[in-house]
Amino acid sequence: MNTVKSFKALIKREYWEHRGAMFLTPAVMAAFFAGLLILSTLGNDMDITANGETFSPWEHLPRAVDAFENLGDNERSRGVQMGLYAPIVLFGFVMLIISLFYALGSLYDERKDRSILFWKSLPISDTSTVLSKFVSVIIIIPVLYFAIIAAFQLFLLLFTTVGAWFGGSTGVAIWASSNLFEVLFNSLFSMIVASLWLAPIWSWLMLASSWAKKVAFLWGTLPIFMISIAEGWVFHSSHFIEMIGKRIANGFAILNSNMHFLAGGDMFDIDVMHWYEVFANTEFWVGLIVSSVFLAGAIYTRRHRDESVYSN
Amino acid sequence: MTTLIEAKGLSKSYGSHQALKSVDFSVERGRIVGLVGPNGAGKTTILKAILGLTSYEGDLKVLGMDPARQRHQIMQKVSFIADVAVLPRWMKVSEALEFVTEVHPNFDLKKAKHFLSKTNIPMQARVKELSKGMVAQLHLALVMSIEAELLVLDEPTLGLDILYRKEFYNQLLADFFDEGRSILVTTHQIEEIENLLTDLLFIRDGKIILDATMEDIADKYIEVMVSKDDAEKAEALKPVMQRDVFGRKVYLFEGVSREDLEPLGELHSPSVADLFVAKMKEDK
Repeated sequence: MNTVKSFKALIKREYWEHRGAMFLTPAVMAAFFAGLLILSTLGNDMDITANGETFSPWEHLPRAVDAFENLGDNERSRGVQMGLYAPIVLFGFVMLIISLFYALGSLYDERKDRSILFWKSLPISDTSTVLSKFVSVIIIIPVLYFAIIAAFQLFLLLFTTVGAWFGGSTGVAIWASSNLFEVLFNSLFSMIVASLWLAPIWSWLMLASSWAKKVAFLWGTLPIFMISIAEGWVFHSSHFIEMIGKRIANGFAILNSNMHFLAGGDMFDIDVMHWYEVFANTEFWVGLIVSSVFLAGAIYTRRHRDESVYSN
Repeated sequence: MTTLIEAKGLSKSYGSHQALKSVDFSVERGRIVGLVGPNGAGKTTILKAILGLTSYEGDLKVLGMDPARQRHQIMQKVSFIADVAVLPRWMKVSEALEFVTEVHPNFDLKKAKHFLSKTNIPMQARVKELSKGMVAQLHLALVMSIEAELLVLDEPTLGLDILYRKEFYNQLLADFFDEGRSILVTTHQIEEIENLLTDLLFIRDGKIILDATMEDIADKYIEVMVSKDDAEKAEALKPVMQRDVFGRKVYLFEGVSREDLEPLGELHSPSVADLFVAKMKEDK
């Protein structure tokens, strides 16, 4: 029971330290875009292009609403859902960049500022500490970003509903077409699974972070380039860097898979998996195994590495 | 269990440099032990080994456990203050209290709040907004609220001004220390703690060169202030150190009986600092 309580405290600790990156950044982004949307509509200088026609929303709002409501059920639903998934393209991108820097700093910053001596003076194992940081990347960050995205999705629905009122409609069609619960569900899981798919990358960066004496970023990236260069030199091939590139590209693809399939499957040029198909993919599980090896390395390094942080 | 720390043949090398050369010592319950030595003598290495922060060779038991493998169990009963700058700078005082409450089974939140209420530390302040002295007070408040059997202090007053330094040790004695607990402390400011200590460990070049209780030291080491005329008589008794004070000579003797020394002049117990200088110069 104590372990569970400690683990919760460790997660909370990560949130306290990284509130800015984990929550404030997406919240400010969402507020910014919501404000922009409202202001640009009130300012009446936004033209909407739909079905090849350009019109300004205020004059032609009734027509737009009409056109929307006369769409076929499928097409209408597709349009609304794509609109709801669209924010994930940007928010998800920011989330992955934030995760990258989080992982790189996770076991390095505490050594740099020597606070590791405080953490290690408490009865918490290195395993719990490292795992709490891993769980923060693969679950806590995606869930927090999802919460902001969900709020933004609701805002988009409310915003367009008000628009529909001005266009002389009840706006019910928008909500009916939104498949809201499915969209929320798919948004959440595509974000978590995308981060899980990238787990070997996060764990590698955490290992580099636990090891680096200086500039964790170089320790995280240089070995990858060195292996790639060595491979090119010895075998005249580039499988290693391609494998990593593919892993990252697939991460983005999984993140935006909902939109990809709604758009007819031509958003990405690679084979895209629905988030639930990922669990049937062998490479996913291999990635998790590789990830656990890196994590074990990070735990070992945190337990035994002290020279760099504490020598008077 | 009365022995809290037991080290036998404790050794540690950094590359070719041997920081600890097969050191033996023990710390009993209810003692305040000063670990004193020049920079690079191995003090910090000993503390790191005890706290499970480094690997070592030899046999070391802390509360009967092996620190290299059981650090997080040991830390339920052992507290540690390094120098003042290790509390995470981003953390709020209230967060520090909440965190320690949740991860430490032997932490008493009420006590910590009581200690903090006697300071000017605001609960919502971040550590980076506090002065050095306040950070030390905060850390001390946290540590004194842990029901620990062993408190390890490594230069705990480094960088603090004199008011805080005095207060730091006074509070430790008044509100933390009792016969059920032990404190192991290293510091360069020996004169600050010499009245608190019950035991002394001197370390030089990775070896323990003095391991004694303060009573033993008072029996064994005697300082005599001698007028110039008696200097020869005093030197015949082979003092380990001498210095000049206001035209008189002060000699430090090791293991010479009081009866032999009394005719020479006034007898004192040497200060730890003088004893330290004498031991460090010995056989060099």
